[in-house]
Amino acid sequence: MPDKEDIASIAHLMRRAGFGASRQELEERAAKGYEATVEDLLHPEEQPPIDDDILYRSMPGYEGALGPPINQAEWVYRMVNTQRPLEEKLALFWHQLFATGNSKVDNPPEITQQIAMFRRQALGSFRDLLVELAKNPAMIWWLDNNGNHSGAINENWGRELLELFSMGVGNYSEDDIKDASRAFTGWTIEPKIPRNPLGRFYWNFEYRAEDHDDGEKNFLGHSGRLNGEDIIDIVVKQSATARFLARHLYNFFVADEPQVPSWNINPPNDPDAVDQLVAAYDESDGDLRSMMRLLFNSDFFKNARFARVKSPAELVVSTVKMAGNYQGPRPGFNMLAMECNWQGQELLNPPSVESWHTGGEWIDGGALVRRVNFAAGLMGDTSLPGIQAMVAELRQRGVSEPEEFVDACLDIVGPLEFSEATHSELLDQATEDGGLSWDTEEDSEKSEQKIGVMLALIAASRDFQFA
Amino acid sequence: MLTTVAAGRVFDYNYCIGMYGMSGQGFWSPQDFVLGEGDLIYVISRGVEEIGQRITRVTRDHQFLGQFGASGRGDGQFVWPRSIDLDSNGNVYASDDFLHRISVFDKEGGFLSSWGTAGSKEGELNGPSGIAFDADDNIYVVDSANNRIQKFTKDGSFLGSFGQAGDGEGEFDLPWGICVGPDGNVYVADWKNNRVQSFDAEGRFKVMFQGADNGVGDLHGPTGIAVDSEGDVYVTDWGNHRVQIYGPDGHFVTTLVGDAQTPSPWTQTYIDANPDIVKARRRANMEPEWRFRRPVAVNVDANDSIFVLETARHRLQVYDKVKGYEEHSLNL
Repeated sequence: MPDKEDIASIAHLMRRAGFGASRQELEERAAKGYEATVEDLLHPEEQPPIDDDILYRSMPGYEGALGPPINQAEWVYRMVNTQRPLEEKLALFWHQLFATGNSKVDNPPEITQQIAMFRRQALGSFRDLLVELAKNPAMIWWLDNNGNHSGAINENWGRELLELFSMGVGNYSEDDIKDASRAFTGWTIEPKIPRNPLGRFYWNFEYRAEDHDDGEKNFLGHSGRLNGEDIIDIVVKQSATARFLARHLYNFFVADEPQVPSWNINPPNDPDAVDQLVAAYDESDGDLRSMMRLLFNSDFFKNARFARVKSPAELVVSTVKMAGNYQGPRPGFNMLAMECNWQGQELLNPPSVESWHTGGEWIDGGALVRRVNFAAGLMGDTSLPGIQAMVAELRQRGVSEPEEFVDACLDIVGPLEFSEATHSELLDQATEDGGLSWDTEEDSEKSEQKIGVMLALIAASRDFQFA
Repeated sequence: MLTTVAAGRVFDYNYCIGMYGMSGQGFWSPQDFVLGEGDLIYVISRGVEEIGQRITRVTRDHQFLGQFGASGRGDGQFVWPRSIDLDSNGNVYASDDFLHRISVFDKEGGFLSSWGTAGSKEGELNGPSGIAFDADDNIYVVDSANNRIQKFTKDGSFLGSFGQAGDGEGEFDLPWGICVGPDGNVYVADWKNNRVQSFDAEGRFKVMFQGADNGVGDLHGPTGIAVDSEGDVYVTDWGNHRVQIYGPDGHFVTTLVGDAQTPSPWTQTYIDANPDIVKARRRANMEPEWRFRRPVAVNVDANDSIFVLETARHRLQVYDKVKGYEEHSLNL
């Protein structure tokens, strides 16, 4: 029988490696053990994928989505309903790292295809992921590689590959960018079927040998008639790449770092953790599963509970999963997607290729009000199945006294570790309302209302904003 | 190819109708259609979330006559509209697989009534999908999530049912479309079992339509069915983006893949208004636009013209089954 600490560890893992989990799932996973759960998460192929036929039968407009927020809604559906939580969380990670936006691509299904590629490559080799990224039609259009020609290079993709997607600024020269760009000439897409009233059409990668600059190039100390794959082979062997990727993984999965553009002047908060991830990268030849295994099993991860501000997608999806009212196809996912937008994270349309600023920058006055109202609104609604399950659990535990009531609520919602100040405020509320009683139907009804108020207060607290 | 010749039949592509439209002229993720009096066609659009649900009245020569129904949960409104058929008076019946009900409109779209109760008991509905009237003006309803077919009078009084969950004969896994053939037999698209089954009017199993052991003629998520005057059976093979055609005994005949090389007049008007699009279309390989994308429903008219509705291309493609086709022995 797992104890409270076991469940708290698993809850931490599931908040980071997924979008949270129900109490029942936490208890089942805790019974199985932490490391076994990590292995389950690292092997999503052992769990069934989302049934696309069921999804598109119910919500046919999701397929070939004509415009946002329909495509965003489909992704939120997948985040809420996936049985492969780490695969979906990594898709979000790669989307944040390789930020591609509909504002320019203007073809939602193509960006959705990019996310599907992230799922497929999420736990494979970083080298293969970068090659797939370089051939991804949405990325080619987003960073203008279709305009990168032999004799007339466009450096956008070549520059961002080095600056934002692999090594980080300061680790290459302007000449390296030019020759990397030359190496990717001819990597383009087939002429597009323009958007028209018959819906959206997928794009296709095309290599045009006649438009590829096959001449001699010099890149990071390597010379030869380098092509795009040669550039990626060189990039993934750079120590800067391992370090840059390690820091991104730390920032997304472990604890908030300074904003990415400052990384060349601000050192990591935990250099030793980054070193460990770099070592995992080097030892595994850039195998992402190996890096994630080290990360989730490390002390630096286990000791980093509630060290990250939830992104809007994390806040929305994890709260909805807890409330349990979006299981399977149903209307309303558009509104969940819009909720992410209103809280500052427009999925599939990040503000620029630099992506979102994270951590404390998710929070401003307007976003905080939305976050609080959204979470408290759901958590305080005792008609929802997930909340009803919590009510039933408190009743089954026989919770009655105010302090016991507060602690039990914090336990079943997390377990959450609240500051003394917040805990004291919750206790004041519980004391003022009186404890819980289940003796009569009227008592039970009142207790249910009190639980709803308490859960809403928890969801409205500062502490709830952290993952 | 525009003309498909197979097993003594000839199917000739004719033209297409429609385009995407959030409202008014056009369809949005259409799910089903029915051929009405004269050249009238009713098309039911699913839309997305709370937008675009309606029934469009359009003619075979592309005249937009109006729309009725709307998004919502009130009378005459839809959340997840799915299927449509007409009774002998021309009144319009439409299923909603979220609201578990059948709504009834007059032929001009005036709301008349609705019936249906959510549940799994006799006469109750769980995700009603395809609907089809028989010659006696009774209506079959695919009670999809209950894995059965229920028969009602047109005012919703329960008459009988057949089928249960499973993959044997007479069993279903989330069935979708239904039609009543000219001989009164009932054809059901057994969606998750990747097959079509036919039954007599009493629900006794008759014929299975599915792929052979070698995969020829197979289906992935069949949705709609129609039967022509000669008994040939047309199935929209939704998951494979094609129409499979079978003989009356279930043997596979041929496949249609979509041939809309010439856009509908509505689409052409849009293209002509955008010179950049005209140029882009001349640069691109346009074949993906010709082909079916999520064909979802099929009907055959009295002349054996075959109408195929595509959810993801928001249009109908029309083929003619050509009789007396001659193929001269010239070396072309």
